[in-house]
Amino acid sequence: MSTTQLVAPNVSAQHWADPSHRDERPFIRKYVFSTDHKVIGCQFMFLSLFFLLVGGLLAMMMRWQLGYPGQPMPWGGVLPETMAPGGILLPEFYNSLVTMHGTFMIFFAIMPLLVGMFGNWLIPLHVGASDMAFPRLNMMSFWITIPAGLIMVSSFFVAGGASGSGWTGYAPLSAVPEYSGVYMGQKLWCISLVVLGFGSLMGAVNYITTIVNMRAPGMSWFRLPLPIWALFITSILVLLAMPVLAGALIMLLFDQLIGTSFFLPESGGQPLMWQHLFWYFGHPEVYILILPAMGIASEVISNGSRKPIFGYPAMVGAIVAIAFLGWVVWGHHMFMSGMNPLLGSSFMVSTMVIAVPSAIKVFNWLGTMWRGNIHFHVPMLNAVAFVAMFVIGGLSGVFMASTPVDIFIHDTYFIVAHLHYVLFGGSLFAIFAGIYYWFPKFYGRMLNPTLGKIHFALTFVFYNLVFFPMHNLGLAGHMRRIYDPNQYGFLEPLQPVNTFISVSAFLLGAAQLIFLFNIVWSLWRGQRAPANPWNANSLEWSLPSPPPHGNFTAMPRVYRGPYEYSVTGREADFWPQWDPPDGRPAPDHSPDGVLIGDEKPASREPHR
Amino acid sequence: MAEEHGHGTVAASAATEERVAHAAPNYYLIWLYLLIMTVAEVVVAFVSHLPETWLILILLGLAVWKAALVAMYYMHLKFEPPRLVLLILAALPLAILLSLTVVTMEGW
Amino acid sequence: MSAHGAVPVSVTRPMEGMKVYNQKLGMWVFLLSEVMFFSSLIGAYIILRFANPQQWAEPGEVLAVPLTAFNTFMLICSSVTMVKAFAAIEHGDQAGLKKWLLATILLGAAFVGIQVYEYIQLAGHGFVPMRDSYAAEGGPLYGATFYTMTGFHGAHVSIGVLCLSFTAVQAFRGRYSEMNYGGVEIMGLYWHFVDLVWIILFTIVYLI
Repeated sequence: MSTTQLVAPNVSAQHWADPSHRDERPFIRKYVFSTDHKVIGCQFMFLSLFFLLVGGLLAMMMRWQLGYPGQPMPWGGVLPETMAPGGILLPEFYNSLVTMHGTFMIFFAIMPLLVGMFGNWLIPLHVGASDMAFPRLNMMSFWITIPAGLIMVSSFFVAGGASGSGWTGYAPLSAVPEYSGVYMGQKLWCISLVVLGFGSLMGAVNYITTIVNMRAPGMSWFRLPLPIWALFITSILVLLAMPVLAGALIMLLFDQLIGTSFFLPESGGQPLMWQHLFWYFGHPEVYILILPAMGIASEVISNGSRKPIFGYPAMVGAIVAIAFLGWVVWGHHMFMSGMNPLLGSSFMVSTMVIAVPSAIKVFNWLGTMWRGNIHFHVPMLNAVAFVAMFVIGGLSGVFMASTPVDIFIHDTYFIVAHLHYVLFGGSLFAIFAGIYYWFPKFYGRMLNPTLGKIHFALTFVFYNLVFFPMHNLGLAGHMRRIYDPNQYGFLEPLQPVNTFISVSAFLLGAAQLIFLFNIVWSLWRGQRAPANPWNANSLEWSLPSPPPHGNFTAMPRVYRGPYEYSVTGREADFWPQWDPPDGRPAPDHSPDGVLIGDEKPASREPHR
Repeated sequence: MAEEHGHGTVAASAATEERVAHAAPNYYLIWLYLLIMTVAEVVVAFVSHLPETWLILILLGLAVWKAALVAMYYMHLKFEPPRLVLLILAALPLAILLSLTVVTMEGW
Repeated sequence: MSAHGAVPVSVTRPMEGMKVYNQKLGMWVFLLSEVMFFSSLIGAYIILRFANPQQWAEPGEVLAVPLTAFNTFMLICSSVTMVKAFAAIEHGDQAGLKKWLLATILLGAAFVGIQVYEYIQLAGHGFVPMRDSYAAEGGPLYGATFYTMTGFHGAHVSIGVLCLSFTAVQAFRGRYSEMNYGGVEIMGLYWHFVDLVWIILFTIVYLI
């Protein structure tokens, strides 16, 4: 006879915050080797912003060569002869710059910002937990990123220089040192990314377990803030895609290190196999780079419009659909590989279909803002810009989804424009929105709003001046990853455009100094942040800024969804998730029993 | 000797676990099945003269069935909450798709 | 008492979730990533073999099938001993836990030992992964895929033996009980997974 036992393990296994706020941990446990998700999130912020700067610097050097070809770069004298003799960039070094700019930005800036920083900051607080499911694994996940980053940086300083085969590392160029002149650098690139992959994987396991198993009472799946849905689905993508990259990188490493022939045609290897393996990872990877940004945008736009997110279930459905479809579109990166046209057509169809859920999200953001009481605070400015720029990036994506069109624009600056519109215009603006929004919560200080608005305005303007003309360059036939476009006569007339872009890029880079200055200044002199500066609804805003170790003093109780803004009949234009229903006391210390849940969600009633 | 499973808790975790009391599977019987199927595989691979496609299908089928036995009984999936089994099954098509990328390649 | 879309919840326990404890969910999720990793290696093998079938020898011509079949048998036995160890601690049988854990470690170590022996034998006959220096029948792709797939599996077994040793140390210190067996259970899940992967690999690499 089978019986079911509901077994309740030791529920005080979650270490809630000490009500007297005593925290006697030594400095090193508190701020360095910390298992506290909030601290780890802050650590990811500093590490990733550093690498964002590194990636940006690499881009500035590329833009110097493209804007002022063959001329000595200012301060170029600091570079060794192997990179830039007399300050003039060598073509091989330019290839390394291209490769490493992409590598650092994707793996060491955007991923750790969106997944490492926001994941750590938001997940335990939004679900109502004291910390992640595996706090020590979390700490390891951060600390493993540092050696990975150091290995990647070191590859610039070995003989032969850093990898020059593109962030996509196509074989056989990447597999045969004699082709590229890069020996140790490519091996270090592979090793660094494998190490980084371990960190990402550990994070994904932690995030999934925490979101599934540690939601506070009342926090049903459809009451989760959208950043958590996004991070949950993203973690599943990380979990299942990063191992494929690891497999491919290991095979590439073996080709270079022990003389195998996985990708070398003369012994029967298959270069095309590299492309399949890489893009099988690579396409889910780009959704990893955008989904959390979409979640953040939803949060900020709803808050800034003082309205519930339009179509919450559809937003969730769209995230799931994008992730699901993202596994069957990878061939659209390989339209020029000589594939069977029938296969090309099937990838074309799936790629066009995946535009639909993204479009649904865009319409829902617009629907959220429509007739809202919009507060253009700095996070909101960045979030709205995210939507607009993502639309442009998405539209250019539709062009390249069409195989016949892609045959023309593949590997041109049209692609470069597209990817920067979705990664910078999309992800990075959402990251800015998220930092301006949550910095007060985790550092206890507001970021200066005036500096924030100036940073936003300058970034927005210069960013568009840099990347929009690239659409035109691409259509005119300007190929990507090229050191000297002027070697082609038909590209010579485009040089002024390149120079214009470069100047705009230098100004764009300079504008970021305002952001960095704002962070540093505000950490010391910023206005002290209240618990809920944005009048928001999710659980983190119920706590002091910054929250204590352990977050809540007892398990929180959730009464409604996170987007109850401007509810009819209520005086305040927001109704936090933790606010007990009117007229009833908050039963947070009642005996261990079963309570009937709360009233019908207010968001089903019409809003004014 | 059928033993009762399913009592006991696990400390230091934050979620409840529903333990369904059930008779312990006969681990030795499963071991015997695995042994028999392994022998069958070797016999089929070396002694039979089946055409290649049949050979591959039968061998893979046997391997997958063995794997399923290990998953269901040794890894206890037969007695876990259905939602956990669904989670695992949901990921498998991706693994299969990856293994069969070969179908996209042609020309040799 | 309202009933619109009401959800009965406890105030002191989190939502239901996956209905298994965190460590178990975490281990299963991790194992899914391992499935993808091995699938990438297997997918590569299939592609390379279809493209160059002439580089592969007939089953048994180069690889030692009888020895490996015995190795497979040992690994399956180690899965039995592992699940017996778990069943033991579920009932609070400390002695049983220790005995069966040690047996599992022994069998696992023997598996690795035999595989290393096999590698040495093969390399001695010229069966190596490199493209320039193979002498055995077949081609470099045969060796490259063989060593990569079985090598990473062997590495996973070795890591498993190491972790089992830590588990055994904990067991000898009396850290597990019928109220606290999660560590043994998740170690078991990893170990059975390693066995499961081998079941697939043995078929694909040695028999096909």
